[in-house]
Amino acid sequence: MIKITQWIVICLVLCVIGGIAFSQGLAPPSNVTAVDTPNDDGSSITVKWGAAPEGSDISGYQILRRIAGGGLEEIGGLLPAGATSYVDSTIEKGNAYAYIVRAVSDTEATVDSEETAPTTGTGEWFHTGKIPLLIAMLLFCAAILWNIYDARSGKEIFVRRIPGLEAVDEAIGRATEMGRSILYVLGLGGVDNVATIASMTILGQIARRTADYETPLRVPCNDPIVLNVVREMVRTSYLDEGRPDAYNEENIFFLTDSQFAYAAGVDGMMVREKPAAVFLQGQFYAESLLMAETGNSIGAIQIAGTDSEHQLPFFIAACDYTLIGEELYAATAYLSKDPMFLGSLRGQDWGKVVIFAAIVFGVILELSGVNWITSFLQRVR
Amino acid sequence: MKRQVPLVLCFLFGIALIFTQFSPHSSSQKLYEEIIDWNLIIIPFALVLAVATLIETHIARVRRRAEHWQYSLVVFVSMAVMVLIGIPFGPQNSVFEWLYNNVQVPMDATMFSLLAFFIASAAYRAFRARTFEATLLLVTAMIVMIGNVPVGDLAWNTVLSWIPLEDGASKARQWILDIPNLAARRGIILGVSLGVISQSIRIILGIERSYLGGGD
Repeated sequence: MIKITQWIVICLVLCVIGGIAFSQGLAPPSNVTAVDTPNDDGSSITVKWGAAPEGSDISGYQILRRIAGGGLEEIGGLLPAGATSYVDSTIEKGNAYAYIVRAVSDTEATVDSEETAPTTGTGEWFHTGKIPLLIAMLLFCAAILWNIYDARSGKEIFVRRIPGLEAVDEAIGRATEMGRSILYVLGLGGVDNVATIASMTILGQIARRTADYETPLRVPCNDPIVLNVVREMVRTSYLDEGRPDAYNEENIFFLTDSQFAYAAGVDGMMVREKPAAVFLQGQFYAESLLMAETGNSIGAIQIAGTDSEHQLPFFIAACDYTLIGEELYAATAYLSKDPMFLGSLRGQDWGKVVIFAAIVFGVILELSGVNWITSFLQRVR
Repeated sequence: MKRQVPLVLCFLFGIALIFTQFSPHSSSQKLYEEIIDWNLIIIPFALVLAVATLIETHIARVRRRAEHWQYSLVVFVSMAVMVLIGIPFGPQNSVFEWLYNNVQVPMDATMFSLLAFFIASAAYRAFRARTFEATLLLVTAMIVMIGNVPVGDLAWNTVLSWIPLEDGASKARQWILDIPNLAARRGIILGVSLGVISQSIRIILGIERSYLGGGD
């Protein structure tokens, strides 16, 4: 009888020891904190906890949330054992939330951390992760403004020859000699598109020349707002040249806002009217080659320009001259020779020099095994 | 005054929109969405003017009996049918949907499908090996095209089996796309980005005024 009692005691002791050993493998998550997620609009709280110790039986974590004065609720799914943080994006702004991190073992045994202090999500007015971006932007703006100021003082600014823009006069002259019209296509961008605005500025310069030569300038538009701006712009160009009588409002018209219907309409105009010069300037998509190839087939001199790098190969293949990317934005300065525009162009070049130097410097550092510049750039959002 | 008010508005809204890009606060984001919504409100008003110009243009063509003036009648008939069905019955109307799906969509698809033929004719001209650059373009394009089709790797592994590199055609294609092609594209994107910022500064500061309709 004594032996049986001894065995029962030994078994109980072993069970208690085993239990203690087991509970050490599933220790509660430590250092649990809940903080307002930085650099957001106040719609999330980040919960952090210490990494599970090596050899622990933790197979995952479950996050529990308590709204002030309410009960606990499970949020999200089971997080992996290696997780050390969770962003709760389901909070309601203005409410305070407390969190518990529950460690879960393979056998579905659980142990809870202590409850965090109640936390509220608060929106930030400034995204601190964007400080490098802001500094770069301010420096670039300063470079442009300084160059504009410098150019106004009368200093001569060199601009390299851009064949596509040199050919503008040739194209207009050719159309005038042949007695045919000029077709100007602004692409599919709206008035809020920077490429469209650049294109409209080029159109203004071309309109001044066509006013002088009395060459018909046809502009089919895809966007109603662009249509109204372009009409006003071309009319002003004709007025500035003292040729308001040569301005024909009917030549600037709305075609359609449908992409391929617009391409079909422009192609139809090319085939019927056979313009001597075609300008394709602005933002283009898949319709770029449909128009450029049709223009090529009628033998028109074609000058294209776009900032869409996917359409550039099509224009290069089908057009006589192509303004590649930034040349579209340089066109205004190049054609008008306005010192303010030329100054901004030089400021732009300064930005390119800095980026080029940063690339070369970064490559040298990477090759030398130093990667702080890469990791710094990766942190910038 | 006619010029100054838009310039001041442009400056204020330009600065406000830049601010919203650096501020994650909900008020800032609401301001951004509000301004974008205002832009959407302007479009219908401008659309009325645009449709009016479209009608004017085609009426003039019909009156003058310009070449192919009959197509202008097609424009009027098509517009009238879509408006007469679309406005009273809405875009979910079965006849409206049928016309859209069986007339406009196939016509769009037809135009898009023409692209294949235009690509062929443009590629033929571009790839004529007259200069060093054109030859380089031709060779590169051939490698990319061969690497894009399974028979390219099959031919490589069969004919060039003595080269210790498996699936060389697709690997060469991928190298061209990932290294020289991507480098050139990024160069263009960097230039464009700087150009856009420069143009935006000019617009915000009132140096660039083309969007006002020209003039000073």
